[in-house]
Amino acid sequence: MKKLLYSAIIMSLVLASCSSDDEAGDIQQDIEVPTNYVFERGGETTVQYPGQTTRLQMSAELIGSFKDFDSATKESLLNMFAHVEGANDFDNSALNASGKNIKSKIAASVDYFSANVAESAEIKADFESYISRQVDEVFPNENTVATTGVAGQIADGSSARYVTGKGLELNQAFAKGMMGALLADQILNNYLSTAVLDEASNREDNENEVLDGDSNYTTMEHKWDEAYGYLYGDPSIPVADPNSVLGVSDDHLLFNYLGVVNSDDDFAGVAQNIFEAFKTGRAAIVAGDYELRDEQVTIIKEGVSTIIAVRAVHYLQAGKQALADNNMGAAFHDLSEGFGFMYSLRFTNNPNTGAPYVSPSELETFKTQLLEGNGFWDVTPETLDSISATIATAFDFTVEQAAN
Amino acid sequence: MKKKKMIKKALFSLSFILVLVACSSDDSTKPEEETNDSFDRQALLVNWADNIIVLSYAAFNTETNSLVTATTTFTENPTVGALQQLRETWIEAYLAFQHVSMFEIGKAEALNYRNRVNVYPTNASEIDGLIADGNYDFSLPSTIDAQGFPAMDYLINGLASSDEEIITFYTTNENAENYKAYLNTLAETISTLTETVLNDWNNGYRDTFVNNTSSSASGSVDKLANDYVFYYEKALRAGKVGIPAGVFSNDPLPEKVEAFYKEDISKILALEALEASQNFFEGKKFDGTSNGESFKTYLAYLNTIKNGENLGNLITAQFETSKSKLEGLNTNFSLQIENDNSKMLTAYNELQRNVILLKVDMLQAMDISVDYVDADGD
Repeated sequence: MKKLLYSAIIMSLVLASCSSDDEAGDIQQDIEVPTNYVFERGGETTVQYPGQTTRLQMSAELIGSFKDFDSATKESLLNMFAHVEGANDFDNSALNASGKNIKSKIAASVDYFSANVAESAEIKADFESYISRQVDEVFPNENTVATTGVAGQIADGSSARYVTGKGLELNQAFAKGMMGALLADQILNNYLSTAVLDEASNREDNENEVLDGDSNYTTMEHKWDEAYGYLYGDPSIPVADPNSVLGVSDDHLLFNYLGVVNSDDDFAGVAQNIFEAFKTGRAAIVAGDYELRDEQVTIIKEGVSTIIAVRAVHYLQAGKQALADNNMGAAFHDLSEGFGFMYSLRFTNNPNTGAPYVSPSELETFKTQLLEGNGFWDVTPETLDSISATIATAFDFTVEQAAN
Repeated sequence: MKKKKMIKKALFSLSFILVLVACSSDDSTKPEEETNDSFDRQALLVNWADNIIVLSYAAFNTETNSLVTATTTFTENPTVGALQQLRETWIEAYLAFQHVSMFEIGKAEALNYRNRVNVYPTNASEIDGLIADGNYDFSLPSTIDAQGFPAMDYLINGLASSDEEIITFYTTNENAENYKAYLNTLAETISTLTETVLNDWNNGYRDTFVNNTSSSASGSVDKLANDYVFYYEKALRAGKVGIPAGVFSNDPLPEKVEAFYKEDISKILALEALEASQNFFEGKKFDGTSNGESFKTYLAYLNTIKNGENLGNLITAQFETSKSKLEGLNTNFSLQIENDNSKMLTAYNELQRNVILLKVDMLQAMDISVDYVDADGD
């Protein structure tokens, strides 16, 4: 089934070039898709996304601090989340000097949240509650063995995992949840949105090479690169050739899981497809071919959404297996990751509908099912299977393909 | 797939209603997943339990009792002589442990036994902190890297470069009492955990184990086969050789060898573990008298051939090749890695060949699914 999905993607690529050839050969001739993500004007690069890199770095440091039992406080963690320029919140002084922060971009896309501020506020509050509860519930039980209803540590092989009374690792819920709420939302529903790419006079400026202030890029080029930066912006990833470090970069967010999913034979090629789409779309912008650009948006929306869904199903199934083996520590770790990725599905974008692949209300039901009562301590294999099947079906892959 | 399964289930319940009688005990078995070979799995399980596993635990348990005694003797009167005696006892016990480490099933699995007893490298700074604090709880997972044989290694071999200096931590050091208490608790914990596992085998688990002859994922053969292959792949091949040789990192990590502070026993520990793995594969009884039913006899029964050779013989030959490569290494793997890591990597490659033969060829021949995946490291 999934093979079909990818042949569909490849087909749409082929069709795209064919139709351009047939109907507008002259435009097609202008579009040169470079081997690497290298775009220049006057010999200088036009690709920049420092703001995205900054937020990825802020996220990494905040997530790491969830287990800083000795010195982190609720205040210090919340300050990292809602950093204000100049505040001494991070070890990395460049981050402290920045006027950017994580919170303002959580659930903040134009397409999904500009007219939906109530839900946006609830989602931001979810992430703040992960921070607060880590300090209020988990920190005091640092040296307690977790049992049903009691927060503390639990063994996962040679590691200790720190969980709430329901078995949830809040750092995992935060990290995997923000891959959707920050990264996917900004990439798919904001920067690749027509409302953003074509805002105001963007098309006209792009065609006339009206540059954005003192910068070397047009506004539309820059919006596209900002989408690129949320996926490929970790400092350990080379701008031009990100897949050269696929699977071996220091990134722990979407790019990392892109590599993980790509290494599964059932999904092999997804990393190359997404990268090709980013390059082709960017080249199309330079050439002013917005139809070709939007075809690439479709590929990226499907691809990035699929990464999240595959990992959600994968971890829910891994958790089910570990529960069956009575290995609660490993199970809770898997289920916590699965919970976070499932949370992230709210921010996926099915290009056929312009909405998440799984409806927000259904996802709410799933969250309740996973965490009701004693949470992961007594979640049933039937619940995990039924959630997994719903997600897989919505994406047209099978549970087995994601689980292995 | 899911729908298909549900239909199957529905059909199954239908037939359940139809046959009605004699199905009440059928809940847990899944007939459609059973393999059809009629190899005597119970005879295999009996040989494993009675002639290998329980005897290996009993022998190791005796060693851990000696370890507690030697530790007590040393802490009551910390002399160089007592330290050296303790060290010898510790080595004997560490070698005997290599014969039980692969059996992470039943109580051992529930206790996270292998990790409690032998996670290395040990966390020396954490141990220093816990000793200074005097307050610790080895049942906490976060102390796994501060207990077991590797923690004892640090406390009897790694505190200083000479025995005379090591003694001072237990005599004139301001925390001497805490050092003694910590060392005693380490030995006692190893002993208590081992006794718990052994008692469980002797008080019921043996029967549970040998009677669970199902050829499904929950059957004893499938589970222990997985535990065995997991042990061979992760603890032996990777832990003792691959990780310190840098196979999984950018650079070699010579500080990650087993018994890092003792320095000169990493090779004999690895060889002992390899021998124990081979013995188990071949069903060699713990007393060494003869071989019983085993993975190897099972493969012979299945008549599994690979590249024109009997698979069981191929695996045995690969164990022998691996052994000869390990024997050619320095007694101190750290030195081997620092001086000529290529030999370490060659030994790793030979160990790796048996991962393929065991994990892919053998398990496939026996129709056993691998029940573990590589963790993604976060």
